[in-house]
Amino acid sequence: MAAIAGGGLVLEIAQPEIDVAALVETYSRLLFRVAHSVLRNQAEAEDVVQDVFVRVIERRRSLQSIRDMRVWLVRIAWNLALDRKRRIRPVQMDESFAECLAANTAPADEKLYESQRMKAVLREIERLPRAERHVLLLSAVEELGTAEIAQVVGRSESAIRALLFRARTRLRERLEVRGGER
Amino acid sequence: MIHSEEAIGKVLAGLRDAEASPGLERRIMRAVEAHASQRQAAKPSWAWSVAFAGVMAACLLIAITAIYRHVHPSTQAQQQVLPAASAESTQDASLLPPKPIAPTRTPIRIAAHVQKVQAVSAEEAVLLSEMRAPSHPAPAAPLTKEEKLLLRAVHLGDPQVTAMLDPEERARQAAESEAEFQKFADLSDDEDQESNQPTE
Repeated sequence: MAAIAGGGLVLEIAQPEIDVAALVETYSRLLFRVAHSVLRNQAEAEDVVQDVFVRVIERRRSLQSIRDMRVWLVRIAWNLALDRKRRIRPVQMDESFAECLAANTAPADEKLYESQRMKAVLREIERLPRAERHVLLLSAVEELGTAEIAQVVGRSESAIRALLFRARTRLRERLEVRGGER
Repeated sequence: MIHSEEAIGKVLAGLRDAEASPGLERRIMRAVEAHASQRQAAKPSWAWSVAFAGVMAACLLIAITAIYRHVHPSTQAQQQVLPAASAESTQDASLLPPKPIAPTRTPIRIAAHVQKVQAVSAEEAVLLSEMRAPSHPAPAAPLTKEEKLLLRAVHLGDPQVTAMLDPEERARQAAESEAEFQKFADLSDDEDQESNQPTE
C-alpha cells in the first residue's frame, strides 16, 4: 500500500509499516557516494540507489530483524554497484570523471595534464588487488568508519587498516614508477 | 612522491565529494512508488488465489477422470454387457442374496465415449466393434423352479374344476342343479299322473 501524504513524500507500507521516505531522506546521499565510488557515474550510481530501496520494499517483512540498517543498506548498495560495474565496464566513465576532476584547473594545457594524471590514478586503482581496492574506495566515503567498512566487506577492523595501508602504498609506488617511466 | 600522493588525495576527495544531482530523493521515491504499485497490481489478492486454486483443482480432477476413462473403457462396457451375459447363470443364483450393484455410467455417455475411442491393435478393434454394435434387449430368462410350480398349480385341471374352487361359484352351480332337479321332478310327477289315468 503506497501513499503520498501531505507535501512530503511518505511511503507507507502496511504490515509492518516502514517509513521508506525517511530512509531515503537519511541514506540516499550516502548510498549514492558508495555506488559512485565504484561506478564513477552519476546516473548509474542513482540507479543503484533506486535498486537499493526497491530491495527494501521487497524485503520489508524481514527489516525488523536487521540490527544496523545503515550498514545493511551500504552493503546492498556496494554489492549492487559491483555487480553493475561487472556488466558495464565503465572505462569511459572514468575518463569523464577525470575530466570533471581536472575541470577547475585554469590553463587548458594544465587541465589536459591534470586530467591524464587523474585517469592514471583511477587506472591504477582498478589494477590494485580486489580487497585493497575495495577498502580504498570505501574509505573514500567519508561517512564510513573502519568498523563499518569491516562489516561491509566482512573482515576485521585491523585487516581493514592493513589493507588500506597496503593499498595506498602500492598505489603510490605504481604511480611513481609510471611517472618515472615517462 | 608528493605529486602521486597529491593525485591520489585529489581522486579520493573527488569520490568523497561526489554529489548527486538535485532532486535525488524525489526521483528515488517516484521509482519506489512505481515499483510498489506495480507489485500491488501484479500481486493477486487472497480471494483470487483461492479461486484460482479451486479452478485448477477442478481442472485437475476432470483431467484425471478423463484419463481414467480413456485408459479403462472396457471395464465400463463390461459392466453394461454383464446383465445380459449372465442371465442364464442368474436362474440358479436367484435364490442367493442380491449382490451390490456397482454404479455405472449412463448408456448415452458410454456410447459417446466409445465413439471417441480409437483402436490401437486388432484385439482392441474387435473389442471396440463389439462395444459399438447396437444393443438388444436380453432374451427372456427361463422360468425358475418356483415359477414352474406355480404354473403347474394354476393350470392343473379343467377350467370348470378351477372355477369350482370358488365357493360362490360352487354355491351358484349347486343351486342351479337343485333347480333343474326340482324342475325334472315336477315334470316326472305330471307324467305319472297322466299315465295313471284310465284311458277311455
